[in-house]
Amino acid sequence: MNRTWGQLTNRGRLLMILKYIFLALCVIVALFPIVWVVMSSFKTNAEILTDGISLPTSFKFTGYEQAIAISPILKYFVNSVIISSVATVANVLFLAMAAYVFARCQFRGKNILFWLLSLSMVVPMTALLNPVYLVINNLGLTDTKTGLILVYTALNLPMSLLILRSTFLSIPRSLEEAAYVDGAGFVRTFFQIMLPCAKGGLASAAVLAFLNNWNEFTFALILTSGQDARTLPLSLSYFTSQFSFNYTAMFAAITIAVIPSIVIFALFQEQVVSSLTAGAVKE
Amino acid sequence: MKTKKVWIPIFLAPAVILFLLIYAVPLVMVFVTSLCEYRLSSDHMQFIGLQNYITLFHDANFRQALANTVIWILIHCTVHVGLGVFIALILYKKPRGWKFVRTAYMVPSIISNAAMATIFVNIFNPQFGVVNSILTKLGLENLTHNWLMETSTAFPSVTMIWTLFAGYTTTLVLAEALTVNESVIEAARVDGASNFQIDVLIMLPLLRKIIGTTMVMAATYMLQMFDLIYITTNGGPGRATTNLPLLLYGTFMSENNYGYANTIGVMIIVLGTIAMVIINKTLKVGQEDY
Repeated sequence: MNRTWGQLTNRGRLLMILKYIFLALCVIVALFPIVWVVMSSFKTNAEILTDGISLPTSFKFTGYEQAIAISPILKYFVNSVIISSVATVANVLFLAMAAYVFARCQFRGKNILFWLLSLSMVVPMTALLNPVYLVINNLGLTDTKTGLILVYTALNLPMSLLILRSTFLSIPRSLEEAAYVDGAGFVRTFFQIMLPCAKGGLASAAVLAFLNNWNEFTFALILTSGQDARTLPLSLSYFTSQFSFNYTAMFAAITIAVIPSIVIFALFQEQVVSSLTAGAVKE
Repeated sequence: MKTKKVWIPIFLAPAVILFLLIYAVPLVMVFVTSLCEYRLSSDHMQFIGLQNYITLFHDANFRQALANTVIWILIHCTVHVGLGVFIALILYKKPRGWKFVRTAYMVPSIISNAAMATIFVNIFNPQFGVVNSILTKLGLENLTHNWLMETSTAFPSVTMIWTLFAGYTTTLVLAEALTVNESVIEAARVDGASNFQIDVLIMLPLLRKIIGTTMVMAATYMLQMFDLIYITTNGGPGRATTNLPLLLYGTFMSENNYGYANTIGVMIIVLGTIAMVIINKTLKVGQEDY
């Protein structure tokens, strides 16, 4: 589809150059903020204050040591890992069960129930801040990891349901029928035959859910108050207010918060893209 | 097969319970309590009809927050989505390095909003921030601002934080554009259509549905925008960057006025529904391609 340089008219060449300049700009705009933060995390406070865009003069990890020493960022990091992981596993397991039933079984009210569950996709969750808080409060789960896990498991409900239902629909029925003929029950067929077959969809749903959980801020802010349940995104606002004069430590803290997301994205890029597309097309 | 029937409700139960606890019950509560005088202090609800709504429409804070939210939705659905679609239309022709551009452009969208916000607090920092550093280096000291704290610059500065990063839109539109049958494009090219004509007259109509979807997503995103504003300006200076979720948060967490906060919640839901209907109507999302 691409014509070579020699075949182009002068106007075509100019357009091509402009196109690449534009694409380069997009990459710079997208990556510069993060590169700047990582770079600044290696500068001293004085270096940051005298020239915001100079290169660091040495590569010392003092900023990171200070960030860990003066703030509970490690504790928050561990909380984030626990809450995001448990909520992701719970979400994918529960929604795989539901999606399987929607993909394979017939029962009364099936269409209405599916419609209702997928409707949750279009509910603007910030509208529900107060009632969700009251629900969690009434369950006695405010300021607990369990409370946040419950909310996060639900927040990814619609996306996972759509992704996993279409995954199960794409698996040929003959597989399970063979299992039933062999005498396997419903539950065993699901766990031993269907789940392994749905690996791709499960991974897509899980990666997206994990990233959402890892990055979630608003519900973490209203549902937690103490160090036992607060998550990494909250530690950042803690930083800007409490240690507003240790910029090196703050940049180190931001780096600590973004690196996991970037690593997960780098490892599971294809899953992220396919889960986004699966969720969007079915809307 | 008799046992199968037993398992259906058991397999559905966790998902349905989650739905009831976090979506259905809260939705009902939002609508019901919006009709009540309900504060943390008084602890009991009193039905007051539409009084909260009447107060709301006379509330200058609400009007400003509503206006800001609507403006942000419009900017996001046009500029942000337009930028994302434009980049996708360049990338689907697979120029050299297109995969790298797609990946790099996604990065700001997959890191947490809290991190993005904190990064931009620093980028806009009056003392050592990137914007002022560059302006100073260029000898344009008189153009430097305390970007997030001055009334005239806060709104556009905050808007920049989310407008330029259209990674999701680009990824979604690109994925769809790559599925378009190449023979359609080849046929147009044989007929003498230019690249520009192909993009505007063939690709855009074919991508209508996915663009509609990204617009709905953009509208929903802006309607729910909270963390980026909360961390950068907290709605200020004054109420220059307050939107509906921020107003709701303040009413709920600072004033503990639950009934009134949930009236704002109902307005968010209504606004979201209106936005969705308008986008679907304009782009004829429901109609089949010929």
